[in-house]
Parts: sequence; structure tokens; C-alpha cells
Amino acid sequence: MVGNNPAVKNKIEVKDLTKRFGDLLVLDKINFSVAEGEFLSIVGPTGCGKTTFLNLLSTLMPSSEGNIYIDGDVADPTKHNLAFVFQEPTCLPWRTVRENVAFGMEVKNVPEAVKEERLDEIMDMVGLMDCANLYPNQVSASMVQRIAVARAFSVNPDLLLMDEPYGQLDVKLRYYLEDELVALQNKLKSTVIFVTHNIEEAVYVADRILVLSNKPTNVRAEVVVDLPRPRNPMDPKFVEIREHVTELIRWW
Amino acid sequence: MSFAEVKITKEPLMVILPILSIVAFFGIWQSLLSFGVVPSSLLASPLQVLKLFIAKWTQVNPDGALLTTHMWTSIQEAFTGYILALLVGIPLGLAMGWFPIVEGLARPIFELIRPIPPIAWIPLTIFWFGIGIPGKVFIIWIAGIVPCVINSYVGVKMTNPVLIQMARTYGASNWQIFIKICIPSALPMVFGALQIALAYCWTNLVGAELLAADNGLGFMITMGRRLAMPDMVLLGMAMVGLTGAVIGVIIDAVEKRLLAGIRR
Repeated sequence: MVGNNPAVKNKIEVKDLTKRFGDLLVLDKINFSVAEGEFLSIVGPTGCGKTTFLNLLSTLMPSSEGNIYIDGDVADPTKHNLAFVFQEPTCLPWRTVRENVAFGMEVKNVPEAVKEERLDEIMDMVGLMDCANLYPNQVSASMVQRIAVARAFSVNPDLLLMDEPYGQLDVKLRYYLEDELVALQNKLKSTVIFVTHNIEEAVYVADRILVLSNKPTNVRAEVVVDLPRPRNPMDPKFVEIREHVTELIRWW
Repeated sequence: MSFAEVKITKEPLMVILPILSIVAFFGIWQSLLSFGVVPSSLLASPLQVLKLFIAKWTQVNPDGALLTTHMWTSIQEAFTGYILALLVGIPLGLAMGWFPIVEGLARPIFELIRPIPPIAWIPLTIFWFGIGIPGKVFIIWIAGIVPCVINSYVGVKMTNPVLIQMARTYGASNWQIFIKICIPSALPMVFGALQIALAYCWTNLVGAELLAADNGLGFMITMGRRLAMPDMVLLGMAMVGLTGAVIGVIIDAVEKRLLAGIRR
């Protein structure tokens, strides 16, 4: 499943995406595409304009030039189903876990019956059933990120953006949640762009990895990860890909 | 999985000390008058105030109304003004915090009126409404609206921007973000305003009644001065304090129930 493969439909296309702040060129004509149902990871050196990049992709920030297209149309959060899992917790403290997961569907005016059914399904998948009626300040940090992930998947997103969602969790929990994420994505066939600093994490979850250059940011390389799942980080092939990507980031 | 209540046992000393200080306060006050250290024309003793308190339940004279009538007038005025202040101030403040048009239009006028002490409106209100209830309601409304607007405004402004971004990525409209994110997130501040506004209303009520009234606790205090009855002045003051404290406790309890999810 590769974005350039003509046999698979391209869901997302990013064309000449450019961002300037005054004279500072942050993003320099970024071009890439993502296939429907593909899991794309984006890695890059610190300070490569990752946040700006995500803000443009999510349309929170207007681009200076170029655009992002979903199914051929310019991305628009009121028309397309976008979802964004932020690095920092974004649960609404006045809503219970279940009400938090429902938030995305509520905004999109999903009919009540459909909403309840999908809620049950997704809450069960991510193991939130037991704490459905608790408030976010009563559950652990990993649960809080699960709520955000469940909320994102519940709207059947055309594009799911993830900004280092597990950056603040310990290694063991991280593998566990990454497995869960991959399983969810496999089941629901969502198109995911997952940004991370952690190369091992990128290789672990992604079908394909884009390596960004330093500022002004461009796509410096593309690495296809065609390893079977579940992946083993100790597998020599895994290690080889990981080192290749590390080399690409260091090389400028 | 919820938290277990943590029981905090009060140290015996922290039970005894407050009682001790209250007893000492009233004891010293009483003995100052009993032993003639302070002449009774300047101050009344706690016992005298208590006696008058009991008498005023049934005696109309010398100030023209029962204690309950005074209290009822004051409470009526305070609550009408207070409720009106909440009804106007909170929506206005919330809207000012989110909609630039409202902020641009309302802010300059609000900032101009805000520094004027509510009591300064009294002469105008006497022209407009005489010395009846509506004039006082107006003063109280002016007093209460200021903290309502400010707290609601700041509450919306303090909304975590990531939550707003999150809602935007789901395609939420401006109005949806205002209703679903900004208002709930401003609620703790708004509840703070309920308390502050009530305190403002209550103090300004007494101020208004001191100057223009024929009834009410503030009027009772003024009458105490005119009749040279320190016990009546003190009784009026005590009733103002007690009533204010009781209302504060009630609002606090309501707030705790409504804000179960948001721990401050």
C-alpha cells in the first residue's frame, strides 16, 4: 500500500504546500500523497516545522501557497471528516469519558441512534467501557489519550492526524497503545498521518515513512516499511529500516 | 476507581481556639460596657443588642417596622437587583469574551461606567424612581453587573486554546465552540462571579438604604443613628452580616453540586 501506487486510490494529496512567516520560509513546497487506508508516519529533526506542518494539514492555519486535497477537494473541516489527536490531553474536564468520546460526533450532528451504537462499539474496542461514567481527572494518562483516539476514530475520519500522541507515556505502555492503534486503524481503514520524533515508533506503526529535512522543510526521503504485523523491534529487518531512517535524519 | 475520600481530623486545638476567640471577643465587649469603660451612648453591649433583637420581632416602634419587614425589604431588593445583574452581566461577559463584535461595542462603555461607584448613582435614581424599591434595585444591579461581566469575560478568554483547536478540527462552528467549549470552561469563573456579585450587591444595598429609604436594614441603621440608639445600629449591622453570610453559604453549596466534574 504505497501512495504512489496507481492501483490504490489516493485519498490525500498535498501539493506545493508552503508557509512563510514574514521572510522566514518554514515549509518549502511540500508534495506527497497518502493512499486510502494508509498509515503514514512523518519524522524529522527537531525544529523542522512539524507543528506548522500539522496546523496546515488540519487547516487550523492557512497556507501561504499550495493546498491539501481530500478526495480531490480542498480540505475543509466542515465538509470533510478530519480528526486530530494532540500531544497534550484534550479531554473536556466537564464531560464524562463517554461524553468526551461522543464530542466529535456531536459536533458533526450524527443522529442519536447511530451515535450511541458507534460509541458502544468504539468504547469497547479501546477498553473504555469500565470508566465510561468517570471524569477525565479520575482516569490515568494513558486512558486520557485513549479517549482522544476513540473520539478521533468515532467520526470515521477521512484523515486522522496524530501529533506524538504517546510522547509522554512510558515505553511499555506505548507499545501497548501502538498495537491498539494499529489494530483500530486496520479494522476501520482510516487514513492516518502520524507525526513523531521517535523513529522506532514510526517504524513500528507505519506503512510508509516520510523523512522531513531541516528548515526550510521539505520531504527529504520516503521509506516504505513492508514488514509483517505484529512487528518485532528486535527483528534484523526492523533494525535495518530504523537505522536507515536515523541516517536520513542525521544527513543534512 | 474513584478517589477515596481523605478524612482530615481536626486537631482539638483548632476546635478550641475559634470558640475561645469568639467568647473572648463578646466577653470583653460586654465587660467594657458593664464596667462603664465605654459610655452607653457610644456603643451598646451584646446583651442589649440581643434584647432588641428579640423585641423587634414583635415591636414596630421606634423605627416604624418589624425586623422581619426590614429584612424582607432588603432581601427583596438585593435579590431582584442581583438576579437582574446575573441575567444581563453573565451573557454579556461571555459574549464579550468570544465575539469580537460584542467586545468592540460593549467594552468601551463598560470600562467607562465600571469605575463609577454604584453609590454615586443614588441622586439620579432618586430623581428617576424616588426612594422606593426600584431605585435601590437599580443601584444593586449596577453594583452586581460589574463582577459578572468581568468574570465571565475572563473565563471565556482563559479557555484552553488546544480545546478550541480540537473542536475546530472536528469542524465545529464558532457558535458550537462558544456553547460547547467556552461556556462550560468559563463556568468556574462564572460561579466565582456569583459570590463576588452577591457581596457587591449586599454591601451596596445597605449603602443605598442608608441614603434613600423608608424601610430595610440600611434604613434601620440610619434610624438607629437618628434616634441615638447604638443597639439598633449594631442590630442592623449584625443582621446585614448574618444574612450575607447565610446567602454565601447557600451559593457555595449550589456551586459545589453543579461543578462536580471540574475540581478547582
